[in-house]
Amino acid sequence: MVTLNLNKGEHRELVCVDEPSLDFHCLQEEDSSLRLFVINFKSAKNVLHIDHCATGCRTEIYHLALLQGEDSVHTHTRMHHDIGKGSSKQMIKFVLDDKAQGSFRGELRIQKDAQQVDAQQNNSNLLLSPKATMRTQPQLEIYADDVKASHGASTGQLDESALFYMQQRGISPERGRQMLLRAFVADIIEQISDESRREELMSAIDRIFE
Amino acid sequence: MANLLEIHDLHASIAGKEILKGVNLTIRHGEVHAIMGPNGAGKSTLSAVLVGNPQYEVTSGTVLLNGKNLLAMPPEQRACEGVFLSFQYPVEIPGVSMVNFMRTAVNEKRQYEGKPALTATEFLKLMREKRSLLEMADKLNNRSVNEGFSGGEKKKNEIFQMAMLQPCLSILDETDSGLDIDALRIVAEGVNRLKTKENACIVITHYQRLLDYIVPDFVHVLADGRIVKSGDKTLALELEQNGYAEFE
Repeated sequence: MVTLNLNKGEHRELVCVDEPSLDFHCLQEEDSSLRLFVINFKSAKNVLHIDHCATGCRTEIYHLALLQGEDSVHTHTRMHHDIGKGSSKQMIKFVLDDKAQGSFRGELRIQKDAQQVDAQQNNSNLLLSPKATMRTQPQLEIYADDVKASHGASTGQLDESALFYMQQRGISPERGRQMLLRAFVADIIEQISDESRREELMSAIDRIFE
Repeated sequence: MANLLEIHDLHASIAGKEILKGVNLTIRHGEVHAIMGPNGAGKSTLSAVLVGNPQYEVTSGTVLLNGKNLLAMPPEQRACEGVFLSFQYPVEIPGVSMVNFMRTAVNEKRQYEGKPALTATEFLKLMREKRSLLEMADKLNNRSVNEGFSGGEKKKNEIFQMAMLQPCLSILDETDSGLDIDALRIVAEGVNRLKTKENACIVITHYQRLLDYIVPDFVHVLADGRIVKSGDKTLALELEQNGYAEFE
């Protein structure tokens, strides 16, 4: 297990790529902020546990799994708001081809005294093959009454009508597919602050989609 | 020179139900044809079949574009050969910017024609030029394709794409639906300015209104899957007065 303590006012951005087994625990002190990126191109298990131990903490979790063959990624987030006036945002995306499998369990807990928390969780997934499977399980436990909490989950396929629209403009289906997939994952990759890291990941993704 | 488009005894169905029941139509270079008719007559099916929408099945008949077998080509090749459809319901593509979308489309067509790709500077200049034709704002470039566009903006965006791609055959499928009078005027003026002696246009519409602005050389009535009457622009005025009752 990796444990990270963020001191008062400390800011940290972490990018983890292809860790096969990530058990990450972060304790955040007052006004600290964490931006965590977890990117998987191969099989992995991720447990991402964040505790807000003081007021004013901010957390952003961006997770992308892009899988082919029989690979699988299982991810469990545990976002615990124990103290109020904090915020969290989770953007979780899976792209599954062939017989790949994914699962996401999103535990979001806001304790009774944790008032004025703003928590968002979003999970959207693309299945590129009829044999790919995705399980998603948002789990919200909200005991405080003065909070904003939202969650959404969707699983679907590439938009056929968009592909046809592109074809009607002269764009081949292969090229159109690549453009749509790129657009889907860019939401996550573009959030990374380090430009060279961003470009390196985008070109790795382009190679997979070719 | 071959006719621009020759449709001969075209039959097509969707989900096993026959919609087009023997359409014949010839279009020469430089002509504007209006296709009118009651709802469900097959107007949109005709446009979908011409661009190769996979939901429709052509069961018999032939379509030649400049003498080439159009029906044998995949949709993207038809587009590169110069067939353009202004969609009745343009599709939103979140995350794909207009500039990226258009640059890909323009360069795919240039590659098909054996021309070199446009440089970024050349391309942006072309975008600017064509945008002004449709009175569209600069910020268009970075917006996702059709995402969050109003009904009028979507239709203008279709004609903008038509201006960028310079097709030889443009099919406007109910481009007037959902447009207010100002947007209608801008769209129609855009279409008129793109007209040359070399290209042609099929205007599919339910109403005469659009034809006040885009004046057709021929008007056809499509009813129950066939063209049942053809005439000049005065036919559209008759239809406006008498309705489609006699064809239903």
